[in-house]
Amino acid sequence: MTRRLVALILAIPVVCVAQQWHPPTEVKKLANGLVVVVSEDHSAPTIGICVTYGIGFRLEPVGRTGFAHLFEHMMFEGTPVSPKGVFDQVTESGGGFINGDTRYDYTEYIESASSAALDPLLWLEADRMKTLDFSAKNLENQRNVVEEEVRVNVMNQPYGLFYAIDLPGKAYDTYPNAHNFYGDFKDLDAANIQDVQSFYEQYYAPNNAVLAVVGDVKTDEVFEKAQKYFGAIPQRKVPPKPPLTEKPQTSERRATQQDKLATLPALGIGYRMPPKTPHDSVIAAVTGELLHNGEASRLYQSLVKEKQVATEVQGGVNWPLGTFLEYSGPTLMTSFIIYPANLKGNDVIAAYDSAVDSLAKTGPKPEELERVRSKMRSDWYDQLEIPVSRASALAHAALLDGDPMRVYSVPDELNEVTPEDVRAFAAKYLVKTNRTIIDRVPAAQPATPDSNGGKQ
Amino acid sequence: MKATRIVMSILLLASFAQAQKEHALPKDLPPYGPVAPLKAPEVKSLQLDNGLTVWLVARGGFPKVAIMLAIRGGLAADPKERPGLAELLAKSVTQGTKTRNARQIAEQFQAAGGDLSARATQDSIFVSTSVLADKFNTVLPVLADVVTEASFPDTEVAIAKNNVANSLRSREAEPGFLAGRALAKVLFGDHPYSVIAPTQTSIEQTTPDELRREFARRFQPKQAVLVVVGSFDAAQAESALRDAFQTWRAQGSASVGETSKPTINLARAVYLVPRTGSVQTTLRVGAPGPFRQAADYEASEIATAIYGGMFGSRLVLNIREDKGYTYSPFAALRTYREAGFFATQADVRNAVTGATLNEINYELNRMATIRPSDTEMTQAKRYIVGNEAIGLQSGGGLAGELAGLWVDGLPPDEIARESEEIGKSTAADVTAAARKYLPASHTAVIAVGEQKVVQEELEPFGLEIKPVP
Repeated sequence: MTRRLVALILAIPVVCVAQQWHPPTEVKKLANGLVVVVSEDHSAPTIGICVTYGIGFRLEPVGRTGFAHLFEHMMFEGTPVSPKGVFDQVTESGGGFINGDTRYDYTEYIESASSAALDPLLWLEADRMKTLDFSAKNLENQRNVVEEEVRVNVMNQPYGLFYAIDLPGKAYDTYPNAHNFYGDFKDLDAANIQDVQSFYEQYYAPNNAVLAVVGDVKTDEVFEKAQKYFGAIPQRKVPPKPPLTEKPQTSERRATQQDKLATLPALGIGYRMPPKTPHDSVIAAVTGELLHNGEASRLYQSLVKEKQVATEVQGGVNWPLGTFLEYSGPTLMTSFIIYPANLKGNDVIAAYDSAVDSLAKTGPKPEELERVRSKMRSDWYDQLEIPVSRASALAHAALLDGDPMRVYSVPDELNEVTPEDVRAFAAKYLVKTNRTIIDRVPAAQPATPDSNGGKQ
Repeated sequence: MKATRIVMSILLLASFAQAQKEHALPKDLPPYGPVAPLKAPEVKSLQLDNGLTVWLVARGGFPKVAIMLAIRGGLAADPKERPGLAELLAKSVTQGTKTRNARQIAEQFQAAGGDLSARATQDSIFVSTSVLADKFNTVLPVLADVVTEASFPDTEVAIAKNNVANSLRSREAEPGFLAGRALAKVLFGDHPYSVIAPTQTSIEQTTPDELRREFARRFQPKQAVLVVVGSFDAAQAESALRDAFQTWRAQGSASVGETSKPTINLARAVYLVPRTGSVQTTLRVGAPGPFRQAADYEASEIATAIYGGMFGSRLVLNIREDKGYTYSPFAALRTYREAGFFATQADVRNAVTGATLNEINYELNRMATIRPSDTEMTQAKRYIVGNEAIGLQSGGGLAGELAGLWVDGLPPDEIARESEEIGKSTAADVTAAARKYLPASHTAVIAVGEQKVVQEELEPFGLEIKPVP
């Protein structure tokens, strides 16, 4: 059974029609539905492997917030034949490292290593696609580890990722898009080993996965090995994807939060993006980058340099949890702005609005758009240069866009975006009624020497 | 011109069979395959008449060029009364020249696909970008203009001072920053390496003239290396680089001197940085270590990996994978040009602060007293050498590694030499290094968190609990 992989060309090497050079890359689908992508690159005797499953935060069960990520940790806790610790040891002894990432629409498992480690690593990835060591003891251990992860990244940090967790929570109304993906502790505490087993059985099937291998390998051999190690894993029925759509937003949403740890106030601003289509997603990306990416960006120039109402600006489409292609449901264009303590949030929002409104009114100049395209193309190549990052990008595009080769057509797609596309996009979507703002201010505290803050 | 081969230690593969036996790996697990010969990046080294060192690596792949210019003279070269000035210098050096304003510079780099950024470290300032190969020639004159003619306009310096001041306030809200700053102070005392960031006073007092003076003292061709890695024709690139940089001349006579070697007299204690509202204690355990040219540097790297540097290390298996005290335990051997130190980190929930320090001390002492197994040695050696190779996969990664070597006074060959030394190190070498550097009695403890928690949790260790000097 195939889900979200409809556009794949089966068992035929994909011919490059793009203008831009890209490394040789081929894709096949095994009989059990596993999509295999191989990109041969002999510039170093290393490999990058990515196995991505089509399950992320959005579809974790109600009452089990944070579970998709907790489950990701359980994928490293061993199988009946390969106990906990073996995968780490084999990867590190193979000159590499191993990791996993959970995002809204996918969960990826990556290894970067010497090319000599190809066989044992593929074998181990296949092994954990067959079954896991569903150990309650290991679940208890990883529950503790994950709760420390939430403490170190959220609860004990200024701002606490509010622009990534609270902002979508306010901007959306339905559970899949709005809930706290890192997990409420009561939900993490409630997770049991039956949850782990049933989540695995539902979603961790070969027909819901993509394997990408990049680096110092021979393409045909990787396809043979993929068949040898993964081919016999039976496909399973994966639950149909529920609707993820939201009722349209009709008015601006605002909230103010107190931050016990931050010393400077900050704004999170999120605009709902339109449903992902090949055309709109690229225009959205260009608009997001033109506003946020680098010192020449509009928001940096306007807020940090000209008006000096902000000290830091970051953001973009689907930021910070992936690139502008790595989503397949509702997503925001997010701005995270730290501003001086002597200003009010509304002062900063007024300056922000004037930058956004001017884009919606007159659009970018052609030379400005050309510069932004160059920057995006350049950043895109940086991502593809590193084998394990390329493996991730290929696997995610296969899963989310139905075609791994999309990653190579992005530079050409950028060239098709016109100044009027960007203007019209900004005028339609970057409007107040389509956005949510959280003003996060330092909680009132006993006076400290620095509490006056702000500009000197 | 010098061709450098970067060769990996690949002979370690043979010992995997033994590892399999020891750890009862799955019986059907296929063995590692044959090792493909490594294509060594060739570094072409040249020196311009003005003394600028240029290292070029031409290679194929995506149409990108990574550029990194490193100059000697970072935070450790700052005037004593202006701690952290190098950070302001880095922040403002890209903000205007005699003929280009900040916005023009930013836009010219953006047009080539890059961002021009500068950052200060202890020993140097790195100015770097990564651009599209077909736009490479367009940014060279701009980069040369910035590093030879930066003008530090008063308005731009005022903005930079403001932003660095605010950034410092922001960072001071982060436990990791507070811990890192405390550790540097505890390890290095009054030595310049004790400074990792400016102070509000030093930022406020810095003038544009001071920045211009420090720029002239540091940004000199003899004190700089230009590393260029990417998809280009070496001869054409060389000619373009000469055109852009050969007229660079030092302004004035002052230059950057040597940084003294720090003498570390670590006062064993718990240094408490109180932080109200903390739900974790941010622990850092530090000790003096070898600097990069020391004979036992490689053995110390292996010891660090086995103790706490790998995911499969003793410390991570203990306090994360067994006890679940922390998400992020990690140990590293870090080096500056004239110093080295070990740092163990773990952010742990308040209730297990003492229990975690107990395990860290246990693992430090175990490393210093119990010889690593063959499996541990194999894993650590291959991990270190393999991850070095992974770090060099990207043009930016290779440029950064090479520039860092130059700053430390080392040639490009060092990458290969270090790999060979790693390969040759024995378990006895590693134990000797661990015994010399890692015993818990050699360490100082930094604890950022709730004052009452830290005092109660760490009281049983019998160490003085005191503020950072």
